[in-house]
Amino acid sequence: MIASIHFRHFKALRATSLHLTAFNLVIGPNGSGKSSLIQAIQRLRFLSQQPLDTELQPSLSPELQHPELVFRFPPPNEGIEVKLSCRAGMVCDHLHVSAISSDNWEVLKQSLVTSRVYMFDHYAMAAPCTGAVEEGLAANGGNLAAVYHVIKRFDPGAFADLQAEVVRLLPEFSGLDVRENSEGLLELGLILREDREFIPAEGLSQGVLYMLGYVALAFDPRPPSVVCIEDLDRGIHPRKLRELCDLLYRLSYPEQYGLHRPPTQVIATTHSPYLLDQFRDHPEEVVIAEKQGRAATFSRLVDRPDLKELLQEGSLGDMWYSGILGGVPEESDPAAEAVTKNPLQP
Amino acid sequence: MKLAILSESPADEAALRVLVEAVLRGPVRLVRPGLRARGWPNVSQVMPAILRHLHFNTDADGLVVVVDADDSVVHTPHHDRPDYFHPQCRMCKLRAVYRQTMKKLPPAHGRERALRAIGIAVPAIEAWYLCGRDPTVSEQAWIEGQQKGVPPYTRAELKKRVYDTERPSLEHETRRAMQEALRHRHDCRRLEYDFPSFAALAQDLRGWKAAQPGSGAAASRAGRPEPASSPVPAPPPACVGAAAPSAANGDLPPVKA
Ligand SMILES: [Zn+2]
Repeated sequence: MIASIHFRHFKALRATSLHLTAFNLVIGPNGSGKSSLIQAIQRLRFLSQQPLDTELQPSLSPELQHPELVFRFPPPNEGIEVKLSCRAGMVCDHLHVSAISSDNWEVLKQSLVTSRVYMFDHYAMAAPCTGAVEEGLAANGGNLAAVYHVIKRFDPGAFADLQAEVVRLLPEFSGLDVRENSEGLLELGLILREDREFIPAEGLSQGVLYMLGYVALAFDPRPPSVVCIEDLDRGIHPRKLRELCDLLYRLSYPEQYGLHRPPTQVIATTHSPYLLDQFRDHPEEVVIAEKQGRAATFSRLVDRPDLKELLQEGSLGDMWYSGILGGVPEESDPAAEAVTKNPLQP
Repeated sequence: MKLAILSESPADEAALRVLVEAVLRGPVRLVRPGLRARGWPNVSQVMPAILRHLHFNTDADGLVVVVDADDSVVHTPHHDRPDYFHPQCRMCKLRAVYRQTMKKLPPAHGRERALRAIGIAVPAIEAWYLCGRDPTVSEQAWIEGQQKGVPPYTRAELKKRVYDTERPSLEHETRRAMQEALRHRHDCRRLEYDFPSFAALAQDLRGWKAAQPGSGAAASRAGRPEPASSPVPAPPPACVGAAAPSAANGDLPPVKA
């Protein structure tokens, strides 16, 4: 889990901070730093696994605005601060740890290495695959069949739970199966309730495959420490978004689902007002990414002083679309341009 | 009887079906797919289109709409005076939307109009689920809290009491909603007594039943007058808590419809 990130000159994130909770939904226009936030976490994962650099950070030219990221962590790692900066050039390639004890850092490193960024690709998910699942579900979901296959083979109880969840979410199907095809590759498919026909993944819709990906993630007995998902709503029907949120809450708040395991921190981005609607009761989980000119900043919805009154007036999605929450694209101002070109004569 | 339920979630729809059948004392058929709205004010915005659709494209007898009151003004008998509606009352607003929409529509499917039954859950549907289980929860308790400026509970607290978690899954929410709705299946009097805005829904529904052909109560469904609202049912046996509902919020300035 990451408690906060401070950004300096990291792409559009010139100078902004973000406090993170167990679940975070980031809304904002294109270019407002949503992807940069996820790239910062990927950078932390990569550099944390390199041997610690004992050299002091070289002094860089103050004229150049070198990027810098500072990460802090929740208890028991609140004493650790990780700073990513540049040796030279403009890419964060230097990691410095300020830690009370090096033991803590070693434990935290083991957790950070399991952080994952997902961007599902339904073509990759549908294709038959080999059985490789060393690193869990692949970033594009390309080994989805293998993930289900391993659970089916080694943990029949967990597979039964998974099946039940899939059937509940997709009531037109009565089961899920993984079969080996003539080339020895694994093929995932769903069984139609109507006539018990096996529909291979290639015949399933984009949204169904994404749902199968999220179910695999949510029911993973050893899920990642941090999960980042871009465009969480992509391919999912608005009426299924509530259940999608439930799946991810299972990761972020396992104790509320009767699971005894550490929570997975979820950071998801969206452009869907319908998905934002789901967070009416938990506005503290919503982050607004704002872009002004070339600079982007983050703020939390819950920090708005008028939030209580706003929630009385309508849905969060409608308010976001209207512009009053921020996090909307900039628009040109043709009237101002025209007036500048044609000033009123006194 | 065939009806449509406009609700915010499948959990609400499932519980409302049970409550509707309890009031009507018999099974109902539902229009499919189920109708959803995205909370207030979206319900009032989509209602005209839904009414038109039900009226012309289906053989539904009527539409059941239930929305949460949140912090809005609670409907009271004061609001039922002829030609009045309170601008901050969701019951008054939805009834006005129904009236304005239906008066423009010609008869279809052998009926003058699809009927309506409107209920407002004060302050949220979870309060109905707690009825008979938590004596501190009632419409009157909420109104008194509004008057004092100190609400007796929040939406979040009600949800926590019903679901025992701050983040119930839809599956869990549906299961709990059904469990609580089923408690009232054989006797809704307690729910009607503690929640007059549920009683108004029940009265609308009983009006439908009375208007059914062969019911003897109504010779024709056509041109049926608007049902009266906010009845105060007789207290159920062993009723806990709330006094008879009063017109507490009627003091706010009413507006001519
Ligand atoms: Zn009213």
